[in-house]
Amino acid sequence: MRGAAVTGVGLLTGWGEGVAALPADARASAGGRRIVTLARPALAGERFRRATRECLLGVAAVEALLRDAGLARADVGGSDTALVYVTAAAYGASNLDFVRAGGKPGALHFPYTAPSAVPGEVAIEFGLTGAYTILIGGAAATLDALRQATRLLAGGRCRRALVLAVETFAECEALWTRARWLAGRPLVESAACALLVPADADTPLSPAPERSALETLARARAGETLACAPLVGLALARAAGPAGAVTLSGEWRGRRAALAIQAH
Amino acid sequence: MAAGAVTPIGGDLDAFWSGLVTGSDGITRIERFPVDDLRVGRGGEIKKLRAGRPPGPGCRASQLLFAAADDLVARAPLDAPAGRVAVVVGTALGGVEELEAALEPGGTLRQAAGALYDAPAHALARRLGARGPVLTVSTACASGATALGVAADLLREGAADRVVAGGYDVLCRFVMRGFDALRSLTRERVRPFDRRRSGLLLGEGAGLVLMAREADARGPRLGRLLGHASASDGSHLTAPAPDGRGLEFAVRAAMDEAGVAASDVDFVSAHGTATPLNDRVETEVLRRVLGPRATAIPMNSIKGGLGHTMGAAATLEAIMCLLASREGVVPHTVGLEERDPSCDLDYVAAAPRVARPRVSLSTSLGFGGCNAALVLEGAGA
Repeated sequence: MRGAAVTGVGLLTGWGEGVAALPADARASAGGRRIVTLARPALAGERFRRATRECLLGVAAVEALLRDAGLARADVGGSDTALVYVTAAAYGASNLDFVRAGGKPGALHFPYTAPSAVPGEVAIEFGLTGAYTILIGGAAATLDALRQATRLLAGGRCRRALVLAVETFAECEALWTRARWLAGRPLVESAACALLVPADADTPLSPAPERSALETLARARAGETLACAPLVGLALARAAGPAGAVTLSGEWRGRRAALAIQAH
Repeated sequence: MAAGAVTPIGGDLDAFWSGLVTGSDGITRIERFPVDDLRVGRGGEIKKLRAGRPPGPGCRASQLLFAAADDLVARAPLDAPAGRVAVVVGTALGGVEELEAALEPGGTLRQAAGALYDAPAHALARRLGARGPVLTVSTACASGATALGVAADLLREGAADRVVAGGYDVLCRFVMRGFDALRSLTRERVRPFDRRRSGLLLGEGAGLVLMAREADARGPRLGRLLGHASASDGSHLTAPAPDGRGLEFAVRAAMDEAGVAASDVDFVSAHGTATPLNDRVETEVLRRVLGPRATAIPMNSIKGGLGHTMGAAATLEAIMCLLASREGVVPHTVGLEERDPSCDLDYVAAAPRVARPRVSLSTSLGFGGCNAALVLEGAGA
């Protein structure tokens, strides 16, 4: 086995759950909003009382994936499942909150400032005790994450791999809106997750000169979702039918990459 | 592998090693930012950071990386086309110190962008002229180990011919306030595996290695990364799993990948934070994995002298393993004086020990249930 195939995708965006909730034109649907927000999921349990919104979104994205793939929690728990998490910015809200808390009791939220808080909560919730990697960056980093998951599968270091991305922006709106490159396109909060299993066909990652059709479609329909964008593309490809191999692409900090993967 | 470093006990690789074997104590009163309102105001602060050549722009995190990179490149040129040089660095905090500056009146867009955790890695890539993949790993305090593992994977599959890999973190008010609130910082000395241990102190630094495939490596080399693995505890956000399951998984997987058995391991560089739980859990895991041989393998923790340098820690510890092989000396565990009966392995204490480990095992743990293990082979043995 040299590559990976996708057996399920969970997708939550500021537009709703799944591909069906995405508008045809995100920019028009945003109606001038700079950020399209995702509400804090209402997850039961005392353990989640202190958890941040981004942590709960990570958990909710995996639950959405289980529904999509028709799996039970027990099907993904244990040390045979790798967890690869990626985000460009989801730690921003907790970092900002912590800075503003000064010496007040909010400082006790310090553990949630770490990017590892989101996959940490996901691992606790679903009993994931296998291989574990966390990457920081936008869409190109998500392709790195998918490739890393493929390496783990191909190397026999896991039997399945969850690639999870979460992006939140609302709390840091004042900082994000300083960035001129974002002008005119809505930042759309998202949480997305893909379950990968070994496959014969390779899953190559390579530099890409231009956007793939899926990247263009994902951006048009979902808006700017940073690290979640390739997984939005994957969800769109799966929704369109049994596509076989698809090409995902993404850019971050001037690096554009493309990854071919079995979408089903 | 070749290496470069900047640490509280030495501003380059040679000074770092010298500080380790002489048992230098890099823990001082923090001077760079206010600490009067904190329970603990000491840490492994780098007092004088050498200006880069040329001095680079950017935040302190980037400056630490630049200093380590300058040290590295002076010892081992990158020696590959720019597009084939990748950068993989680990960090627990990234450029978070910039966030506080960005929020001040007059804070700039540059500062806001610098607050993203991957900003220093990209600044390093620009400084090095590296145009291959640039990855930032953030598995908390295991980041510096995970980064080396990811770098090895990139080389193995041909995504790059050289990788500058490692870890860094700054000692800043943000993280001091956080650990202070958690009551994790000791008011006493950092004492890994000592019965009186009462917590950690933080430090700052950067460690980088230049990695290449065995067949492509040129010039003197420090050693090889034989195996690596990471694993999740799935147990608690800040504390290690009481049974050490994630660490055990990582250690066994790394040894399996390396093709080494317990009988092959000559030295263990422990995470050894000096918190009561970490040191006990780590000891129990090592005893389980290494079996009867566990008590015969020299081990140490270097956090007593440096403080816990977070994202830099695992890389600095990996470098220490390779230097121990080259120099034929295992540095001692600064601060360890009275052994804890529950930590009953062969921790090197009081003075360095003459030994030339061939195969070393290095362990790391971090917030979020992160665990990582590296198996290294020194070129000196």
